[in-house]
Amino acid sequence: MTVAKPILLAEDNPRDAELALAAMEAEHISDKVVLCHDGAEVLDYLYCRGQFKSRQRGNPAVVFLDLKMPKVNGLEVLRTIKADANLRPIPVVMLTSSREERDLADSYALGANAYVVKPVEFHKFLSAVKELGTFWGIINEPPPESCRSTQ
Amino acid sequence: MESAFNHPSQAPRLAAERPKSSASGAGSSVFSLGSVVWFHRLTIEQRVLAGFSLVFVGILIISAISYHNTSILLTNSELNGRSHDLIQLLNNIDTAMSEAEDAHRRYLVTGEASYLEIYKKVVKQKPTFTTYLNDLIRESPEQQQRAGLLDRMMDRQLSAESKATAQFQEGGFRAVKKMAFEGAGKRELGVIHQVITEMDAHERQAVGRRVAESAAGTRNTIVLLGIGALLQLVLLASVYYLIRHDITEGRRVAEELQRRGELLEAANKELESFSYSVSHDLRAPLRHIDGYAVLLRNSVEHSLNDKAARYLQTISDAAKQMGQLIDDLLVFSRMGRQEMLRTAVNLDQLITSILSDLRLDLQARAISWTIAALPEVQGDPTMLRQVFMNLIANAVKFTSTRSIAAIEIGVEHPSSTEIVLFVRDNGVGFDMQYAPKLFGVFQRLHRADEFEGTGIGLANVRRIVHRHGGRTWAEGVPDKGATFYVLLPARRLDS
Repeated sequence: MTVAKPILLAEDNPRDAELALAAMEAEHISDKVVLCHDGAEVLDYLYCRGQFKSRQRGNPAVVFLDLKMPKVNGLEVLRTIKADANLRPIPVVMLTSSREERDLADSYALGANAYVVKPVEFHKFLSAVKELGTFWGIINEPPPESCRSTQ
Repeated sequence: MESAFNHPSQAPRLAAERPKSSASGAGSSVFSLGSVVWFHRLTIEQRVLAGFSLVFVGILIISAISYHNTSILLTNSELNGRSHDLIQLLNNIDTAMSEAEDAHRRYLVTGEASYLEIYKKVVKQKPTFTTYLNDLIRESPEQQQRAGLLDRMMDRQLSAESKATAQFQEGGFRAVKKMAFEGAGKRELGVIHQVITEMDAHERQAVGRRVAESAAGTRNTIVLLGIGALLQLVLLASVYYLIRHDITEGRRVAEELQRRGELLEAANKELESFSYSVSHDLRAPLRHIDGYAVLLRNSVEHSLNDKAARYLQTISDAAKQMGQLIDDLLVFSRMGRQEMLRTAVNLDQLITSILSDLRLDLQARAISWTIAALPEVQGDPTMLRQVFMNLIANAVKFTSTRSIAAIEIGVEHPSSTEIVLFVRDNGVGFDMQYAPKLFGVFQRLHRADEFEGTGIGLANVRRIVHRHGGRTWAEGVPDKGATFYVLLPARRLDS
């Protein structure tokens, strides 16, 4: 396992977060997961401010974004990321309960790299999260880092 | 059978309410105007046209009467002019005849030739008087009678005087002495005076009558014109009121429609956000129930007995089932508000594609298919696909207990106005007394352990078919099979 970069998981529901972490634990990638509880925290992380002021610089390998979150919702975070030249290369995966066509359309229109509906069935959820974590955290080659070189 | 489609869903009921309320709006306008009923059957154009026609006819009648009155006025004034001429003429005749009488007597006394000349002048004038007089009285028989008498008397007076003049010239003053003092035509002159006075009185009376008539006519015309102007004003005002009322009414209806549209839109928005919340928030706890059940099982796997394992499995199954219900319900709600396409749908291709989708489910089954050539229909391809997908999947599901299942898809009574399609199976069927429940949401006729399903498929079928302007019903015999019918209008609905 050579997971160089963290996986950013934006999930306001602690149970969902725990279940997701449990799923990633099985793949031994849970220690790379940074958990944010709302959209504002995600942006704080990405811009290295607030509680993430002194974090190690660099973009995450991937952002798993819930749509419905307090303060700043998933679509707003997505819009901010894709509007920023430095953040735009970060792969963003929407991980949500919504099957609504509108959410799908809006997400892709804003530049989401993938859209995954959380399955109700835990086994399916488990395999989905595992696959996502493995693919985006390990298999996929992240974009060349712009932040890292400046640190 | 009737009761099978006596169960209106929400959408058609809403649609049925709309025309009712608009009709009551029109009704209130009828009563607010409070005039003749037939008038309200006319369109606004016809009413305005009727109003203007009335005004036009009114103007015509008033013009005709005014013209008539004015021409009477003109005739009277012409007749009066003639009467005045006649009065003048009578006066002249009177003077001339008196002059003749006077002149001839003076000649008889004096023998002065100048008097004879005056007399002769009158004699010469006499035919002119007669002609002129006859011309002026040609339309009045009474005056003509008097004029005849007058003419005769004038002739007699003049001839008597001429005779006296001749006697004077033969026999001198002596021969005519008596006549010179009394006058030869004295008696005739008296009659002439009298006739002229009568004629004069008659003519003055006629003039007076005509003046009175003209004055009355003029007064009538003025009154009539006043009434006419007033009537036209009233008519024009009503036409104006009509147009304005119609415009106001139109505006009110438009506003009302807009308000209803906004309300409907708001209700739809609310419904949308409701189902959005359902899709988002209801799924999460289910995911958690299943998730934690699995985590629990994993962490106590070694010490778990069969009973406890079954309990955990039941928790998971229940959560999954509810997840399926929520998904189905969301599809059902989306079917109700989703925009509908209207295109030609080839049912043959549609059925073929559905069967190819069901391929995997059909692998272990022995099914004898009878599929007739199906017509082309108008509608939303995705929605109609859902209809036949549900019906065929049902047929497949409820024949699972048969060693050889027979499923027939066909068309009945094809007509120019409607198409009745059916899906028939030899499955478990149903008791007709439950037919009304078949198409309801979450209505199931079989226990969950007999056949799986959420009970929303047929509700979806009915909703979609209703939105296409059609009907659904079913026939069944327990343990023999069931037939599900879908009636679709053959022609495109103009909705």
